[in-house]
Amino acid sequence: MDSLHAIGFYVSSGVLLLGGLGVALLPGRDLRGTALAVSGAGLAGAYVSLSAGFAAIVALICYLGCAAMVAGPGYRVVEGVVGPVWRQVGAIGAAALLVVLGFAAFRGDFVHASFSAGPFDARAVARLLLAHDVLATEAVAALAIVAAAGAVGAWRIRDRAR
Amino acid sequence: MSATLISVFFVAGALVAVGAFAAAWRRDVTAAVATIPVMFAGAGMAFAGVARFAAAGGSHLLGQEFAVLLAIAAVALVALGLGIAGREGTR
Repeated sequence: MDSLHAIGFYVSSGVLLLGGLGVALLPGRDLRGTALAVSGAGLAGAYVSLSAGFAAIVALICYLGCAAMVAGPGYRVVEGVVGPVWRQVGAIGAAALLVVLGFAAFRGDFVHASFSAGPFDARAVARLLLAHDVLATEAVAALAIVAAAGAVGAWRIRDRAR
Repeated sequence: MSATLISVFFVAGALVAVGAFAAAWRRDVTAAVATIPVMFAGAGMAFAGVARFAAAGGSHLLGQEFAVLLAIAAVALVALGLGIAGREGTR
């Protein structure tokens, strides 16, 4: 990876991690939605520096959509029923997960991989999505349709009950 | 200055851990749902990095394809989660 791609990757990764931390820690739906949009922009930049331009465009659109939903007026606060002890156990487990993943990444230095930048090539990605791995694409499309229908149904039921 | 596959894995692992931490720590279920895209971003970045670094001579598009599918799945799960969680919630 040349210096330009490396600088882009590190800057985008920093923006992405800051956005992720914002989603995790910031109060208020507006701030969390903004942080999610920032993390989407960082993710798109990281994908571009990894020569995955098509994924960058799709990720940017999807994460902006997520940010709009999180920051939108349809957001409701739902208090969880999990006790504080179990939440602390979960947080410690997440910290342990970070340690394990960091160790696994550090120990992955036996792989001597070389970066090979490629063209944008959206046509090849589309051929892969719509021809070679069409079953996975259809499964995700079905998930998206079911999720959208379920969300619309849930919102309509809530509005009718109000 | 260069970025390696290990750098990509560090960023991806940090994202997954941050998302898991927020999902476990947040008292508000809807805020926990909003961390799903963060975890999926880590997974997508790992896929894209592996495909770009470790597929020398082969196709570099498989990780990009997974990243695309993960992004779409993330937005679908957030929509469904916010819709379901918001049924009983308050503003």
